Amino acid sequence: MFRSATRSSSYSLLHSRAPLPRRLWRAKWLYLALLVPVTLLLLFEWLPAFSALYNSLYIWNGGKVHIYVGLEHYERLLSDRTFRVALSNLVGFVIFRVVMQTVLPFFAAEMIINLRSARWSYWWKIIFVFPMVVPTILNYLIWRFIYNPQVGLLNEGLELLGLDAYTHAWLGDPLTAMWALSFVRFPWLPTLQFLIILGGLQTIPHEVHESASIDGAGFWRRLFYIDIPMTRRQITLAMILTMLFMTQRFDLFLVMTDGGPGYSTMVPALQLFQSAFSFLEFGYASAIGVVLFVGMLALTVINLRVSSGAAAG
Amino acid sequence: MRKRLRYSLGNRDLPFQAVLVCFGFVTFFPLVLVVITSLKSNTQFYHNFWLPELPFQLGNYSSAFRIIWRYIVNSVLYSGTTICLIAAIASVAGYVFARFRFPFKTVIFLAFITLIMVPGVLTLAPRFVLVRDLGMVNTPMALISVWVSGGLVLSTWLMRSYFESLPQELFDAAYVDGAAEWQVFTYVSVPLARPMIATVAMTTLIGTWNDLIWPLVTITDKSKMPLAQGLMQFSSAYETDWGTLFAGYVISSIPLLCVFAVAMRQFISGLTSGAVKA
Repeated sequence: MFRSATRSSSYSLLHSRAPLPRRLWRAKWLYLALLVPVTLLLLFEWLPAFSALYNSLYIWNGGKVHIYVGLEHYERLLSDRTFRVALSNLVGFVIFRVVMQTVLPFFAAEMIINLRSARWSYWWKIIFVFPMVVPTILNYLIWRFIYNPQVGLLNEGLELLGLDAYTHAWLGDPLTAMWALSFVRFPWLPTLQFLIILGGLQTIPHEVHESASIDGAGFWRRLFYIDIPMTRRQITLAMILTMLFMTQRFDLFLVMTDGGPGYSTMVPALQLFQSAFSFLEFGYASAIGVVLFVGMLALTVINLRVSSGAAAG
Repeated sequence: MRKRLRYSLGNRDLPFQAVLVCFGFVTFFPLVLVVITSLKSNTQFYHNFWLPELPFQLGNYSSAFRIIWRYIVNSVLYSGTTICLIAAIASVAGYVFARFRFPFKTVIFLAFITLIMVPGVLTLAPRFVLVRDLGMVNTPMALISVWVSGGLVLSTWLMRSYFESLPQELFDAAYVDGAAEWQVFTYVSVPLARPMIATVAMTTLIGTWNDLIWPLVTITDKSKMPLAQGLMQFSSAYETDWGTLFAGYVISSIPLLCVFAVAMRQFISGLTSGAVKA
């Protein structure tokens, strides 16, 4: 009846000439099939998204208190010192993580594709993807143990090396707390980014590498003139993904330090969470969410522009 | 000359292998230490931080398991239900988007795809209010409904592109043989889409298994908590009992380890096949 697959053009031409009500009626089963997902998305995704936009203009405790204040929350954000600190913390953190989570996976992937032994390169892939089985929360808990001032792995290691003078309450000192958090999960590769970059490196045709080595290009030349330029798209994607993840995920901060000591590890998303669920300022929290959303959107667009511009030029 | 010599010795891989071994060592060292510590009593731990020590305290595992098992069961149920629902709904929706032309198709598809740009942190607070007003707080429904709708966005997109990549001849052959549309879907399309369904299931599993924030705001009852949230409880309850604590950590990694052992080959080849392009 509606075997009008996109590619069989004769059918679809016939259909598009029919009047709209008739076409709607013909597609009734299709709409029925889409009813469940569309309802779910409208209810649990679109409604909260618009609710956030709308309620950022209100003082709202999530319940009956609901007072229109216009753009007051946004003005408050401009002068909110906590938010300013949180934002600058986030910028540093995201830059650090984007570099780390692009360089490390690229480095590992580069090593792996350089191996001649197919069996070994397969096993190394498995080995580096393995940490994925450890639940994220466990990462944080294990790193809390690593930074533990009394019996932590890091301090014990320093003592073992005779560097007792450098032992430290890593998470308790406002000067080191943010650095400590930036290194959480350190040598473990971000699975998705690693596989994306690896996939990019693997699609470089073998002949390109061969002709480069015939021309006498060593490892480093090949790296900078072939591998990095040819995987630019994957690298950009990995960077955007890291940026988006790191901007909106705050479970790390919540579990490890809860923003402290002081506000030294506060980030906007955590401030949003606290405004909403500790202080019941749902309106203010929504305003923070809107600012984050706009910022992430802008950064993604800029990032895509820059990388596609570089590709064209 | 030198190059030929290195090839003939077959150890051209050596420098790369060496780097990789160092890298692998640093990767696994904390995990190994966690396993070692999980077999110690507190006295053994304070006495000897680095090395394993006899006797192994297997009792740590049984006392940790008594607490952790419930969280694991909960997580398996919640994530399992979510995966089944997403796989079913996303295959149907992806199939409809890929194979048919109908009025407002673009608009409806945009309603799916634009959501990729909407961050979860923006919708967190209003979504909580919504779920609370629907009376779903502290029920598994709060988790499953939101996980399903959140996961549908990407999954539908993936399924759609997969179904679009299947050759038209395949469907024509089924139609010629007199198959109805639902038969083409169940007996031809879904079996062919199994690799993509596996990818969808895997990403959903990892996403829901690791979600901490959403359970934290919606689930208060200890007996209903999923693993991530439960582990947080567990870690504050056993803060100084290192052996039991780490035994619990090891136990809670086992479920994903099993999945990893079974499905890893497909997962890696699926994602590295160059299918993911910027």
